Amino acid sequence: MLKDITVSFAPHISQPLSTRRVMLDVAIGLLPAMAVAGYYFRIHALLLIGTCVAWCAATEWVCNRIRRKPNSLGDFSAVVTGIILALSLPPVLPLWAAAIGSAVSIVVGKIVFGGLGANVFNPAMVGRAFLTASFGVMMTTWTVPASIDIEMPTLSAADVVDTRTQATPLAWSKTAIKEGGEAKTYSGRLFFSTMTGEVAGCLGETSAIAILLGGAYLLWRKTIGFHIPAAVLGSAFVAAAIAYLVNADAYVQPFFHLTSGALLFGALFIATDPVTAPLTRRGMWLFGIGVGTITMVIRILGEYPEGMMFAVLLMNAVTPLIDRLCKRIPTGGKPHA
Amino acid sequence: MTDDLKDKRTFSRGVHPPESKHLTEDRPIEPGPGVGELSILLSQHIGAPCQAAVKKGDLVEAGQRIGECQAFVCAPVHAPVPGKVKELALKPHPVLGRCQAITIEAREPAPPSLPSFDLPTDFDPARYKPDEICEAVRDAGLVGMGGAGFPTSVKIQPDAKPPKHTLLVNGCECEPYITCDYRIMLEWTDQVLAGIRLAQRACGASKVFIGIEDNKPKAIEAMSAAIARAGSTSDVRVVPLQTKYPQGGERQLINAAIGQTVPTGGIPPMIGVVVINVATAAAIAGAVLHNRPLTHRVVTVTGEAIARPGNYYVPIGTPVEALIEFCGGVTEKSAKVVMGGPMMGLAIADLSTPITKTGGAVTVLTRHQIGQAKFERRQTACIRCGRCLEVCPENLNPTRIAHAVKSNLLDVAESHFIGACIECGCCSYVCPANIELTGYIKTGKIFLARQRKKMPA
Repeated sequence: MLKDITVSFAPHISQPLSTRRVMLDVAIGLLPAMAVAGYYFRIHALLLIGTCVAWCAATEWVCNRIRRKPNSLGDFSAVVTGIILALSLPPVLPLWAAAIGSAVSIVVGKIVFGGLGANVFNPAMVGRAFLTASFGVMMTTWTVPASIDIEMPTLSAADVVDTRTQATPLAWSKTAIKEGGEAKTYSGRLFFSTMTGEVAGCLGETSAIAILLGGAYLLWRKTIGFHIPAAVLGSAFVAAAIAYLVNADAYVQPFFHLTSGALLFGALFIATDPVTAPLTRRGMWLFGIGVGTITMVIRILGEYPEGMMFAVLLMNAVTPLIDRLCKRIPTGGKPHA
Repeated sequence: MTDDLKDKRTFSRGVHPPESKHLTEDRPIEPGPGVGELSILLSQHIGAPCQAAVKKGDLVEAGQRIGECQAFVCAPVHAPVPGKVKELALKPHPVLGRCQAITIEAREPAPPSLPSFDLPTDFDPARYKPDEICEAVRDAGLVGMGGAGFPTSVKIQPDAKPPKHTLLVNGCECEPYITCDYRIMLEWTDQVLAGIRLAQRACGASKVFIGIEDNKPKAIEAMSAAIARAGSTSDVRVVPLQTKYPQGGERQLINAAIGQTVPTGGIPPMIGVVVINVATAAAIAGAVLHNRPLTHRVVTVTGEAIARPGNYYVPIGTPVEALIEFCGGVTEKSAKVVMGGPMMGLAIADLSTPITKTGGAVTVLTRHQIGQAKFERRQTACIRCGRCLEVCPENLNPTRIAHAVKSNLLDVAESHFIGACIECGCCSYVCPANIELTGYIKTGKIFLARQRKKMPA
């Protein structure tokens, strides 16, 4: 009758969902941001994304061979790391630097901890932190398409082919304030620019609309929960509002913070990395509030115009502690014995 | 009743696996195969196993008690058919692996005839004394037929402490594929209600709720109509519940139907609630009104890999093999045979495993379903997505517990309340990394039990 019978633990059916599909969903969620990057930064964007994905995948493959582990490229996590790293880089970063960053992401960010699922820090942010520390100037050289002219002072006139360098909105506001300028110039025009993406900044962070679109997809697919993004954006907004209320001349409007820089991108795509974020909902709230607050502390009080990367890495380190704090209690309460 | 339908009660979390009940839900209960050899396992319930009361070569009559024990938490077993005791030997058991069993050679292997369920026209549970009911139920060897197999007489015993205020009847049947309880509610409606009222009389509960998932509107209708027909039974109510797995888990059912929570590690009687399955209720009526021991039960033989799925009335002890053959065999060369449903059922390796009192279904899953052929179903590392936490009806942290067990850190598993796991399988069901979380947790529980046996604290 039956030739071979399979025996295993219940349940014997499962949801048609795989790690690969989860990772693929993140990649799909990143598509709008990639498309906008491609539109504004043209060939630079595509070369950077391609380089990062290829180097992340290649590094993982080589590491697996060296460690004599089965090939794990099929889970697509290296691809996602590559895309996120690329989208967090400035558009004209030399490709060799991006390649180094990718290798560091995978080796230091992931493999040394034992591979997928075991890493403590977000691999893409590890790679980015390495690049920021090593190639500081390159990592803060921003460009916008030459056709776009926003009312911000250009820092230098060194034009690159069809683009020219310009400060990011955050960097510009910081410099302007330092030099005694008015920070209130957050105009409707600039708001429009940060929504569509026609400002200087990292590849993936410029367009709020594209990020929100991708984030909505992830939320719809339940790849991410709303807890972390809500906590990050909410706490960042509160922190920005406090600063603004204390001294409206020295600090920009809170809404400006939400749409500019890496805040939105980080809240939806970086802080939500499940591997390095807490497991419980309560933990996610704490984690998100931590990320949002630290980002704003760095932005408002620190030297850097941007703080998302450091905030995520710092909170990653705290994640095991948060998981320990937010222990789940069974439905029926703690057992007596 | 319409008010209840508007407000669909449920518990929090859980999953929605495909129901797959279309295969058998419209198939009326039919007599199963006539089998020449039946193996009655001596342990078909929670509690002390039975001792054989017959020897090899003895002639037995249908309904004769062939195994019993003196322990309080125990249920005797009876011969389903007249015949000769062929042997007393170890037979495959779906849970225990192997277990002592009495094999009976039937005098003539005829298909079982469906039981007559005539109720006395003037049926009134008040005429029966609670002790009588409880005694009849114990003599008939009744155990929870929903799957757990706790002796029913212990649950419904009169004058228990604390007093029982609510009798909850489980007609949820939340497991995918299975339809035996559904058919029983449709076809043996009055019998079920009679059993419910007898159980209520025995345990002294003042309120009775019959919880039925809203994907079984016909069953809700049939039970409500039967209550209306029976007249003065305003204390019995049908509670429609949202269709969700594991709605039929008794802790979840209690939470959904009456909003109470059973303490972790505790059992429903601690909060004054008794939960019985609808099939058990029907068997109570059979035991009390017709003196019928529990020798037969309805089994749903189903799954995409079975040729002729259906609901069959079969003697307990029928080998699974005979049932599958009776249903036209399997349509694939390799598959998985599960005693029970696909969420909590036990995969068996030996098709001579006999049907037990608790086995409501035989589900034969296809190769495609168990996903061996697919890369997609390969196990990867845990990506900490937290889906298992999102669905756990007992609010546990399945991934943490499973990882602790995997790393042999049983104390960590315990500190995350491994004992509170009801093994419903929701966590494994949703895991995108395809990790057998429930399997690890079950294994951890077994290790812990062993450890405790070796070193009594």
